Amino acid sequence: MRNPIEAKELSRTFGDLVAVDGINLSVAKGEVFGFLGPNGAGKSTAVRMLTTLLKPTSGQAWVAGHNVMSSAGAVRKRIGVALQDAAIDPLMTGNELLKLQSVLHGIPKRKARARCGELLETVGLTAAGDRRVGTYSGGMRRRLDLALSLVHEPEVLFLDEPTTGLDPTSRVALWDEVRKLNQEIGTTVFLTTQYLEEADQLAQRIAIIDEGRIVREGSPSVLKNQVGAPTLRVDVWEKDYNAAKATMAHFGEERPARKGRIAIGLNAGTRGITVVLKALEDKSIEVQHVELDEPSLDDVFADATGRRLEGGESA
Amino acid sequence: MTNSYTVKGHSFLVGQAFVGRGLMRMRRLPSLMLPTIVMPIFFVVAFSGSFASVVALEGYGTDKAVNWMTAWAVLQGAAFSGLGGGGLTATDIENGFFDRLRTAPINPSVLLTGLVGYSICRAVIPTTAVLIVSFCFLGAEMPGGGLGFIMVYISAIGMAAFMSFFVLGIVFIFKSIKSLAIAQIVMFSTMFLSVGQAPLEAIEGWLNGVAEVNPISHVIRMCRQGFLGEVTWQQTQPGLIAMLCLIAGTAIWARICYRKVDI
Repeated sequence: MRNPIEAKELSRTFGDLVAVDGINLSVAKGEVFGFLGPNGAGKSTAVRMLTTLLKPTSGQAWVAGHNVMSSAGAVRKRIGVALQDAAIDPLMTGNELLKLQSVLHGIPKRKARARCGELLETVGLTAAGDRRVGTYSGGMRRRLDLALSLVHEPEVLFLDEPTTGLDPTSRVALWDEVRKLNQEIGTTVFLTTQYLEEADQLAQRIAIIDEGRIVREGSPSVLKNQVGAPTLRVDVWEKDYNAAKATMAHFGEERPARKGRIAIGLNAGTRGITVVLKALEDKSIEVQHVELDEPSLDDVFADATGRRLEGGESA
Repeated sequence: MTNSYTVKGHSFLVGQAFVGRGLMRMRRLPSLMLPTIVMPIFFVVAFSGSFASVVALEGYGTDKAVNWMTAWAVLQGAAFSGLGGGGLTATDIENGFFDRLRTAPINPSVLLTGLVGYSICRAVIPTTAVLIVSFCFLGAEMPGGGLGFIMVYISAIGMAAFMSFFVLGIVFIFKSIKSLAIAQIVMFSTMFLSVGQAPLEAIEGWLNGVAEVNPISHVIRMCRQGFLGEVTWQQTQPGLIAMLCLIAGTAIWARICYRKVDI
């Protein structure tokens, strides 16, 4: 049985421009998969191919067990899509849009009425349901877009840059919705984003795409660990300094730190912190302050491409 | 977890939903309908007045210019309605709403039929408005009786359907509301290069040849016959054939062009 999302050597060109260059993907059931990359990297083109909106130039893809080219209709029945720039008719109300979406998906009237009310409540738009979407804020539109993509209880949900242009509060609220969907209903989520924090917060596994090619793939922590071990900094009383330094040396190589502080590169990754603290406690060393600095996904991106995603400067 | 719903008459319900959405937009944004209603009324008022004596020439078959011009104005309004249906799709493509429709599990033919259904419903409004103005204020007559009115509505609906399919094709290729200008040029050319304003006998040179072969001429004759006399099968048949061919041809054109949306 195929995974909910699979792609093999999937490519798309526009004239001479290679937007997506032979990507391979496999997203497991119930996974939140982040597709991270800068603008123009090929994220949206990949999503458009996976959601049957765009024909691949070459390669194959299967979504919810069906081929996106030969069984586009079957794929559409099983996916929910919230594309970049919430695609919503501003003259319609939230309720009307949800009803239209229900009709498009062939949901019986009575079931649709209940489902629409339920979804408006889920995304916190019950009070605004009868208002024209043109009067909604950016965050409200995104939430409605999310609700629209969920009307038919899709197996796989595609979110193309769902928080672009949102204020921090709305962004966090939308993240909560996505988490809830994934955890409570088990929806497989394919999320594209250019925000490192978003990928880090939401995705269990990510692929970094640059110039149409996947340059790194794995869980955020593994990818960050590949770049280098996180730095653990510990402050102890002066009398314990040498003992602490000797104890911590077993867990990673020493790193530069200010006077009175011990820093090591934690070989076991972030999970190793509890072991180090336990070892210090066993030797009756009182810890005054602990800090753990993980390599960021930006470091991963820089390591893979030689460029920074945030700020765009050279690494 | 996933529910694959199958409701009876899904295609019909989708078509109905598209028509409903279009009509709702018209209610909420009446300015959308203004050109569609005002222009044909302007045509029938201005042309009936300006060319009041032209009907004395051979070939008109009526002593009232309004009887001649009403059918033409009705079909102008219907063509504008078809254009409007395409315009809604162009707006949907530009703002991304069309992608939502395309990711829904519906057959493209159902999607196209729904969009054209909206244009057809839309065409009834200017048709009725022109008839009201012509009969109540300009003294139009319908010797063809009820059948004459039926012919007017059938022709208007056919014209709206054909024009809508044609415009959808243009919109799918260019994916922009600006492409409506191209559709407008074609619309005006086909309408003016026909027997819309004058009978074939009064048209000279190459215009006569074009008007004779222009299938719109047959549709206009079918629409107009009730204003000039009895409704006959001899007048109706060529009009119906022309109309059905135009609808079938443009429907195929729109379906082929639909594939261009994803490029």
